[in-house]
Amino acid sequence: MSWSPSPTTAALELREVGHDYPSRDGTVPALDGITLSLDQGQHLAVVGPSGSGKSTLLRLIAGFQQPTRGTLTVHGTPVTGPGPDRGVVFQQPTLFPWLSVLANVEFGLRMAGVPRKERRERALHQLALVGLADTARMRPYELSGGMQQRVAIARALAPDPGIVLMDEPFGALDALTRERMQEELRLLWRHTRKTLVFITHDVEEAVFLGTRIIVLSARPGRIILEESSDLPYEENPRAAPGFARLRERITEAVRHAAHQAH
Amino acid sequence: MNTAVRPRTGPTDRGSGTRLNSDNSTRSRFHLSAAARSLGLRALAVGGFLLLWWAVARAEIWPPVILPPPHAVWEQAVATTTEGFSGSTLPEHLWASMRRILTGSGYGTAGGILLGLLIGLVPALRVMLGPLISFVRALPPLAYLSLLVIWFGINEEPKIWLLIIASLPPVAVATADAVRNVGPDYLHAARSLGARSWRLPLWIVLPHALPEVITGVRIAVGVAYTSVVAAETVNGLPGIGGMIREAQRFNQTDIVILGLFVIGLSGLLIDGILQRIDRILAPWRGRT
Ligand SMILES: Nc1ncnc2c1ncn2[C@@H]1O[C@H](COP(=O)(O)OP(=O)(O)OP(=O)(O)O)[C@@H](O)[C@H]1O
Ligand SMILES: [Mg+2]
Repeated sequence: MSWSPSPTTAALELREVGHDYPSRDGTVPALDGITLSLDQGQHLAVVGPSGSGKSTLLRLIAGFQQPTRGTLTVHGTPVTGPGPDRGVVFQQPTLFPWLSVLANVEFGLRMAGVPRKERRERALHQLALVGLADTARMRPYELSGGMQQRVAIARALAPDPGIVLMDEPFGALDALTRERMQEELRLLWRHTRKTLVFITHDVEEAVFLGTRIIVLSARPGRIILEESSDLPYEENPRAAPGFARLRERITEAVRHAAHQAH
Repeated sequence: MNTAVRPRTGPTDRGSGTRLNSDNSTRSRFHLSAAARSLGLRALAVGGFLLLWWAVARAEIWPPVILPPPHAVWEQAVATTTEGFSGSTLPEHLWASMRRILTGSGYGTAGGILLGLLIGLVPALRVMLGPLISFVRALPPLAYLSLLVIWFGINEEPKIWLLIIASLPPVAVATADAVRNVGPDYLHAARSLGARSWRLPLWIVLPHALPEVITGVRIAVGVAYTSVVAAETVNGLPGIGGMIREAQRFNQTDIVILGLFVIGLSGLLIDGILQRIDRILAPWRGRT
């Protein structure tokens, strides 16, 4: 396995992290003062209005860009770039069009040197989990947007990374598929104890999947609400007594942040 | 020859699968008739051209040495194929030229891809070599043929070098541009999946650049085609260029025209093959 959970250091630690984008006249602050510690196995859901820096936060953790301020460590090591310890599902599917669906899902395993036969089996298994085993031989552009996004999820999960980062992965799915994927993910996480950072517009989804939930303010994104929850471990989280109450609190915070923006 | 690269349309349109049946059948009937009509129009144009040619030659406004009739060219095609001209048959002349084109543009393409990769990946190399490549690209091949003859003599070497120098720059430029335009998120995705060092160019950068590289190759082969006849004006026998040159010396206009047709038609054929290869190797072109 590509990760070793350590009992002493957090899986993910951000200290006073901020990020500015360059603009024509100076810089635009997108994120500011993000301090956050996530243990192995926790699922962080990030909600906030559009433009509040959610994707920026994810890209910093992924190592695609470096924070302007503050420090960011994964299992105690500063993040300097992308790596196979952090699987990423982008807001856009970003599949490789020159590879078949199966070869896309196999990609991480191939880079890790997994032998051909095992690689194929694990990739097919992962594709089956997202309900797309029959598309293995197709090319990504032959699939619908939602199907592509599910392949992207399978591709990120196949090499079994310790931390998974997802940017609104279910945005393009219909309600039914979306619910199925949410449930699949919830159970998967309960069994594997992976660390998950999950961005969503959907407060209900955040409460359903997140053991930790943060709400970001309008630009620059700051944490304006932080909640912990055991609901994802319930048999049926949506029916649990705390579900509606937590959803209300978070909705209220998001509404407040969105009002700030206008 | 035609090196213009058009965006692909037609049977790759997958949207049609979701249409109603009746809709589909009218569509395909329309397609069939459109294809038949364009074929018919093309045949009409060729036939009209031949007829006009024949009529003008028949009117004998100019003597046959200026404008031979179409059947004289056809007779020469048969005669040069069976009996030969200047020591070789027509297929041998054609094969000699084709071998030069394939060898020259083959090396030129390989070198162009390699150089383009380096230039696209290493900014310092781009600064150093970019202007040189643009300079060589702007030169007409005949301009440096004399230099190549001084350096390499009059046999195969200068001809192959001419074609290499003519075909390398377009491939290098196309490859370098495509390499530089790789979407950063493709590289991010690959690195998040564990790809490092030489695996990034191999698995991401080159495949991503493939459609543009193939376009570069089509241009390179086109350039090689226009250059080969020039290269063969010096000791070019056997070869279509040498054959044309030799026929010109003896005022055998029908053979000159025959040479033009042979080089033009074989050029169209090769470009058609390259387009087919493009469709097989880069089916995602224009769809991402
Ligand atoms: N590459 C960039 N260059 C300049 N500014 C950027 C860039 N990317 C994002 N920004 C700015 O940073 C802010 C945060 O963007 P980000 O994409 O992180 O928001 P988000 O919360 O993911 O929004 P959404 O919910 O719409 O996806 C925005 O105001 C945006 O204008
Ligand atoms: Mg976003």
